[in-house]
Parts: sequence; structure tokens; C-alpha cells
Amino acid sequence: MKHAQLAVDLGRGLVLKNPVMNASGTFAYGEEFSRIIDLNMMGGIVTKGLSINPKEGNPTPRVAEAASGMVNAIGLENVGIEKFLKEKLPFLKGFNTPVIVNFFGNSEEEYVLMAEKLSVDGIAALEMNVSCPNVKKGGIQFGRDPEVLGELVYSVRKKTEKPLIVKLSPMSSDICRMAASAQEAGADALTCINTIPAMVIDEKTKRPVLGNITGGLSGPAIKPVALKIVWDVSRHVGIPVIGAGGIASHKDAIQFFLAGASAVQVGTQLLVEPFCLPGIIEGISGYLSDHGITGLKEICGKLEI
Amino acid sequence: MKELTSTVISNRQIASNTYLLSLECEMDPYIPGQFVMVKAPSPGAFLRRPLGIMELKEGVLALLYKTRGEGTIALSMLKEGEAISVMGPLGNGFRIEDEAQAVYIAGGIGLPPLLSLYNKIKKGNFLIGARSEEDIPFDYIPARAEIATEDGSVGHKGLVTDILSGMNLKKPNIIYACGPVAMLKKVADISRHMNIPCQVSLEERMACGFGVCAGCVVKTVSGNKSVCALGPVFNAEEIIW
Repeated sequence: MKHAQLAVDLGRGLVLKNPVMNASGTFAYGEEFSRIIDLNMMGGIVTKGLSINPKEGNPTPRVAEAASGMVNAIGLENVGIEKFLKEKLPFLKGFNTPVIVNFFGNSEEEYVLMAEKLSVDGIAALEMNVSCPNVKKGGIQFGRDPEVLGELVYSVRKKTEKPLIVKLSPMSSDICRMAASAQEAGADALTCINTIPAMVIDEKTKRPVLGNITGGLSGPAIKPVALKIVWDVSRHVGIPVIGAGGIASHKDAIQFFLAGASAVQVGTQLLVEPFCLPGIIEGISGYLSDHGITGLKEICGKLEI
Repeated sequence: MKELTSTVISNRQIASNTYLLSLECEMDPYIPGQFVMVKAPSPGAFLRRPLGIMELKEGVLALLYKTRGEGTIALSMLKEGEAISVMGPLGNGFRIEDEAQAVYIAGGIGLPPLLSLYNKIKKGNFLIGARSEEDIPFDYIPARAEIATEDGSVGHKGLVTDILSGMNLKKPNIIYACGPVAMLKKVADISRHMNIPCQVSLEERMACGFGVCAGCVVKTVSGNKSVCALGPVFNAEEIIW
């Protein structure tokens, strides 16, 4: 039987050899993972969220366990855009895998400025984080109001020719409107979802576990929420949706494709099983072959009801 | 770093809430102070648990741990012949001074990495701090170890740092410490006053264990550093306590 075609086109020239990426924030800038897996086999490499200036992040403890998942309040610690371009990007350019830079700002001006600075060779696409629950300014505030989001995406769109992915928050009263707004403003693809605001309390100490008090829930615990959002959003927009949220196996990935995702991002699972990506990619390929599916498009959104 | 499936040889209680897990494990050689991430066999334990390596000899990995929460309680229930996923060795271990007239200070569950180090150097003074006599695995600690317990049930009544500051010993040329942050901070203070180099092994809540999630950072004089990847052993003077 012919091998299934795993390549996926996410628009504006962003073609991945397979639909599996990491989720931002679970891969740093690739160096650690390059020592244990072959980065060339990934569909895309998504960097840790970058800000214009380096960011120290939140006080520790920054991670706490939850049932089937974890709550993190890293606070977007990152090296900043200049150091990334100088010290991290040259390394990532050495792989035959598109580099997708996740970025966020404290203001519209910052988002725009970053998009300009990131429009350089070696960066295949930009993923706008408008939905991190762990930053006070910016972040999630942009991700709650469709009009504000639309203006932000429109402003960024004007400044870059790179494929533009918008990563949406699950914490919106109408995520389909948010998605439509991002599409109308020029987004090429959407990532659904980011973590869900959450907290963990230690009853012995009567204190929150996280230094930041609250954080974002990720891992298998949020998969059903993410699936539902991908299902809703993908039927509402005409651009590719990247599924993220609790994907831990090729079976999870297939479920996201059935719900309407064109590609997936594996996040928290990478922290627990850092060697899992090759198996997930092979598993997807095997599933497609076993079901006589020759290309991913044939399964995307084909949930039988 | 490798991911290995290891088989339990034995897993037994050796002190109050303290267990020794022996695993058949083909792990690469390690440096004392390095650790492994183990996957506890419990649906309630999602993240791996970082455990300091006590010994790796002839394909047998020995891990000493205390039961604290769901994950370590699940670990304590592992039976001989069961399989467990282990990743390691991880982090940077102690930098060993050959001629060390060393002092080792272990507080609570800070014991395994220092036992590992002591068993390699086999010289120096070993100090142990614990809540009570029943918390100390006597069969596994150096015969001449000096002990401090908070309840006074054995050894000096008080903190292990009291022994260090009141030591009538020849001035050590290095201090190695692992234990609660409050203890390490005190040890760092004392070592600074005595002008003795001091290496501390830190503990922090971790998710990945190999430097990608930035969950376990510590503030140092040169910025945030991941405890898992750039530690867990640091020079005490590097840390902003």
C-alpha cells in the first residue's frame, strides 16, 4: 500500500512535511531536544514565546500538577528578540524544518514592531500569542475581544509577509467570533487552544502552590475542551486550524484531524515523554495507511455524526 | 539523557516514609548530584518525579525517596518485577575536589546525592539533619556521621547547621550541601563567613527535568538558571537566596 501523504499546507507558502509540531513553551529554542530527537523529522518547530525585551518570568514555584495535566505560571520567560535572532535562530536554521516563531507584546505597537523584526530569512512563519494567561498586560486581554483582536491582527498583517498564525484563548465568550475576526484581519491559520486559566491549592499550607497564585492548565485534562473548540472553529472559518491541547499520542492527533484540525501541536506531553514525537508521526502515517487514506485532507473535519 | 524501562529489583522501607528503590537499569555513568526523572505508576501522577541518584553499580540503580504526595506514594507501592520508566542521568553533579577534606551536610531528603558523593570520595565529615531518629536510614549512612534532630531523639538537638557552625574540626576545604532551602541558605552564610567554597544541590518543582520548560529556575547573580539543566548543583555564592 502506498504511504499516505503527510504534508500539509497552512497557507501563504507554509508547507509542513507532516502535521506535527511542538507547542510553544515546551521546546525552548530546540537545542535540548536536538540532542535527543531528530528535529528534521518534525513538521515544524515552534519557539518559546518571544517578547521585544528579555523577560524574567514569574516567581517559583512555576509548575504544579493537576489531574491529568499540569498548571504552569512560567510567565513567558524568554531571551528576547535580539538574542533569539543572534544566538538561537542560526542554530534552528540548520534543520530542514520550518521555524515558527511565537511572539507576544504588551501593546499593539510592540506586536507590530516584533512582526517587522521577525520578518527575516530563516523564520518560516509567525505565531501571535494573544492568549497567554500568565502575563498581566497584553496577552489574554487581546484574546478576549473580537474587535481588539481584529485590529491587532490587521496591524501586524500590514507589517509582515510571513504566514501569520493566531493562537487563540479558550477563555472567550464566543471563540468563533474571535476566529472569524482574526481571519478577516488577515490571519493565515489559527492555533486552538492555549492553556486554560487555573489554580492549585495546597490544603496543608492553605496556600496556592504557584508563586504567581494562578496559571494555565495544560495536558490531557484539557483535550476534550480543545477538541470541541477545534470542531466549532474549523467549521466557522475558511483557514486552517492547528489543534493543540492535551495531544499525547497519534490517536489524539487523529481525533483533532477528525474535528477539523489541519495540523497539531504537542505540548505538555513533551515534558513528560520527550521522545514521543517520532512515534506520533509514525502513528499518524500508520493510521492513514490502515484506513486507505492517501492524504491528510481526506480526514480533516471528517467526523461522522 | 536516555529514556529507559527499568525493572524493580526491590523497593523497601528503610526509615519513616523513606524507601530505597533498586532498579535494573542500563543507564550511562553518572556524577554524584545528578538525578533521574521517574514516571510514577499512578493516574494521579502526571509529571515525572525528580529523584537524586544514590548509586549506580553493575547495572543496578539505587534511588532513595520519601513519600510525600500521590506520585511518591505510588512509587512506594511498586513491586519486584514491575517496570518503570526512568530518564537520566540529568543535570550537573558536584564538582569533586580530589584532595577534599570535605564536609557533607544533608538535610531531610537531601541525603541521596551526598551519600553518593561521600561513597565516591570516602573522606570527610558527614552531617545529617532530620526531624527525628525514625527519619534516618541508619543502615545506609556513614558510620561516623554526625546527626542533628529537631526533636533531639538522636544526636544533637536542633539544626544540622548548628553542628557546622560549632565545629571543632580542622577547617574543611569544601562544603557540599543538599536539603531544604532554609538550611542551604544558612550553610551558604556559614561557608561565606568561614571563607570555604560551598556547593549546594537545589530542589525545585520541575516539569521536564532537562531545561526546556523553565519551570524550575533559580535566581542567580547571572540571571535565572534552570535547576534541572544548569544545576541542581551550584556554587553557593552564585545563588541569590
